[in-house]
Amino acid sequence: MSLLAGTAIVKHFGGIKALDGVEITIEEGAIVGLVGPNGSGKSTLINVLSGFYPADAGQAAFDGVDLLELGPHQIAAEGLARTFQIPRPFGTMTVLENVALSYMFGQRRHSLADARSAAGEWLGFTGLGEVADSPIDQLTLHQLKFLELARALATEPRLLLLDEVLAGLNPTEVDESIQMIKRIHARGVTLVIVEHLVRVVTALSTTLTVLDQGLVIAEGEPDAVIRQPEVVRAYLGSKWANA
Amino acid sequence: MTRRTKALAGFAVAAIVINLVPALAEALDTPGFYITFMFTAFFWISQAVSWNILTGYSGYFSFGQGAWFGVGVYTTGVLAAKEGWPFLVALPIAGALAAAFGLGLGLVVFRLRKLSGEIFALTTLAVAFVLASVARLYSFIDGGRGIFMTGTPLPEFLGDFRTAMFRMTFVVAFLTVLAAYLLYESRVGWGLFAIRDDEQVAHGLGVPTFRYKMVALGTNAFFSGLMGGVWALQIGFVTVDDVFNIRVPLFVILMSVLGGMKHWMGPVVGAVIIYTLTDRLNSAGLEDVNQIIIGGLLIFLVLAVREGIYLRMRMRWILTLTVFGTAMAVWTFADLATSLIWDFAYASLITLLAVLLPTRQSVARVLRRGGPATPVEASAAERAST
Amino acid sequence: MSDVLNQAIVSGLLIGGLYAVMSVGISLTWGALRIINLAHFSFILLGAYATYQISTSLEIDPLFALLVVIPAGFLAGAIMQIFFELTKVDEFQSLIISFGSVIILQSIIRTIWTADFRRIDRDINPYESMSFFVGDVAIQVPLLLAFGAAVGIALGTSLLLSRSYFGKAVRAIVDDPQIARAYGIDNRRVAVVLSGLATAFSATAGVFIATFQSLSPSISLGWFGIVFPVVILGGLGNAVGALGAGVIVGVAAGVASVQWGPLSASLVTFLILIAALLFRPQGLFTRQGSS
Repeated sequence: MSLLAGTAIVKHFGGIKALDGVEITIEEGAIVGLVGPNGSGKSTLINVLSGFYPADAGQAAFDGVDLLELGPHQIAAEGLARTFQIPRPFGTMTVLENVALSYMFGQRRHSLADARSAAGEWLGFTGLGEVADSPIDQLTLHQLKFLELARALATEPRLLLLDEVLAGLNPTEVDESIQMIKRIHARGVTLVIVEHLVRVVTALSTTLTVLDQGLVIAEGEPDAVIRQPEVVRAYLGSKWANA
Repeated sequence: MTRRTKALAGFAVAAIVINLVPALAEALDTPGFYITFMFTAFFWISQAVSWNILTGYSGYFSFGQGAWFGVGVYTTGVLAAKEGWPFLVALPIAGALAAAFGLGLGLVVFRLRKLSGEIFALTTLAVAFVLASVARLYSFIDGGRGIFMTGTPLPEFLGDFRTAMFRMTFVVAFLTVLAAYLLYESRVGWGLFAIRDDEQVAHGLGVPTFRYKMVALGTNAFFSGLMGGVWALQIGFVTVDDVFNIRVPLFVILMSVLGGMKHWMGPVVGAVIIYTLTDRLNSAGLEDVNQIIIGGLLIFLVLAVREGIYLRMRMRWILTLTVFGTAMAVWTFADLATSLIWDFAYASLITLLAVLLPTRQSVARVLRRGGPATPVEASAAERAST
Repeated sequence: MSDVLNQAIVSGLLIGGLYAVMSVGISLTWGALRIINLAHFSFILLGAYATYQISTSLEIDPLFALLVVIPAGFLAGAIMQIFFELTKVDEFQSLIISFGSVIILQSIIRTIWTADFRRIDRDINPYESMSFFVGDVAIQVPLLLAFGAAVGIALGTSLLLSRSYFGKAVRAIVDDPQIARAYGIDNRRVAVVLSGLATAFSATAGVFIATFQSLSPSISLGWFGIVFPVVILGGLGNAVGALGAGVIVGVAAGVASVQWGPLSASLVTFLILIAALLFRPQGLFTRQGSS
């Protein structure tokens, strides 16, 4: 049974159609790789599904609930979380407090006292235990990206949208992050990964979804999808155009 | 005992001790102006702390304090003085009406998709002007004639006028600070801090941002209006120009910026210091200079001590207590000034200067990171010590 | 009745010009420099008092004060911006700092000119009661002058911003200050000049106010409820928009005060403000999507 079924999702910015009737299905337990050339609508889709942008039309049934009718905090309560491409931690809180906060809210309500110990566990899981009491500005980019993960995980999501977690990292850090994504998946969280590094996504994901000009142009088993002529054209075309 | 029980016990003790003050003052035959000084301080504490619940916690900068205060003043003015309602019946309505105005504003502006902090700030300022013109317009409120509060009867159990003012302002100030503390240590408080840091992210992590902002704005307006309702008595003759002016918003901003907006205690400390100093400047006949000093101080503080002095005092509490204690003792026993209030003013000023002196630590931090000491470190230190 | 209404509309239209001159400086610095400089209110007042003082002391036509007030306003705005640049303040701090400056300037004004009403003597101020009739409608000359200045400022500013190198630099900074700097635009100097211009406009508004109104330190408080709606309605940083918005607010307030009494005017302007915030937060005169 599919966890999320998006139908005919439309989002305009002024005269530009960023999403032009997106159809997307996400199976429970999958790792969906969401790829596409620049400006194809990947980030917009993430923002629409997590409630950050209101959609202009369409539905997104998440376990029987239409996400597009809800506000961001209600979507979080349904069990959907996201990370940001450029980490956006709460600047006046410590690392631990950042995670504790999202545990207190998130999918279920928790008390402040419970939140501190639970936050410690998530920091341990993401390997940030040592910097738990540090202020945010002492963290490296790699640590900030893991904090994004810890904070999203602390909301106890069923579906987690990862927006370019690998961007800006060196090869060693990329490897560590891939291992982390696998460990998160092993806990039973369904994942959607937006990524530029097509090779990494193809290797990691169980389903590949390709967006181009606000439309899903291919969806299916990664190795097969990547060879489809329209996918090759979308990528090469945009690459040549950019060069 | 947890930190919270300790703090609540502290609140209870403070309540009992301060409630004994009027009796003690009578027994010692101290001059009445001490009581007046104290209840005016309570007034400012309540205004500054309630303002900070909205602005310090949620980050939404408000110029609307004068509006909520004014609604409170005019509510008891109209109901108790003009319509003859019992004062203590009119008083809660003052708070409720101010809260209703605040929530009404919130209902409109917090629904805006692209509400920026600036737009919110200026809208709250505009509200005060509109309320002022409404009060001037309708004669059942003011109609430009003002309201005499002086004959308003008060229940006998409150004591004479001064004692009654002391008791009522104390209760309101106490409840305000208690509310600020309870919010600070609650889910709502944490949600508000997250909103202050990054509202969009907070919303996405599950914080019900609209509801929490409404709680903050409603609490702010309620306590400000409640204290305004009491304060109408002290004003005596209520006029639109005296009530809806820039004085209340100016002072609460100044007090909170000085004390620190990120901790519930910050505005309490700021209110006591600023009120004491301005009161002494005024009593020395320096009203005009006073305004210039206040404006200059505001500019200096917002540039120099971003985290406020309360957190600094907390980090350097030995220094703070020693300097304050010594100065207070010297001034009192050497009889350097004419009254205890002057002693207190001088001791506060000296402590303030001592706390503002840069530490070796903070200098090193500026050199290393190019920024001032962060409140995070202070709060981490605070948590580590408990 | 309709005569009264016509008169209210025409007067509102003219005073809308004055509102635009009062608002354009705040709109420019807010839109382009992301600084809400509340001190503009004090500079308007200071411009008015300076006009009163120059005109009264030298016994000359108050409009001669423009020769002093415009450069002095430019200087004051430039100095303020230099201070902001040196202290590297953020938006919140700049708001507080300008608020502090208002308090200081306000009490300086009160110290120099006291809280009493001041008015330029009729012998040297020919404009105060000067008016002429078009049909049954009286046109007040001081308001007409302000309206002319508003049209000049609006057109001049929008030409400056759209045609000159300076204007292109300003727009580049609005879009992205860092990239503008990378392309060799000295954004500090541009900001200082822009702030100077904006403050000169505000001070100019003061000159016109002094030609027909009595001055007291507290009159500036009432301006807030007018200037803010005009700035929002016109669109931040949009000088022509400010003129259009000034006229709308002026006419609406004028008609309201005829229909429901003078005190209803500020209620109506506030309702316009709320409506603008709800339905056109980018301003009436800004094209959709160009923010």
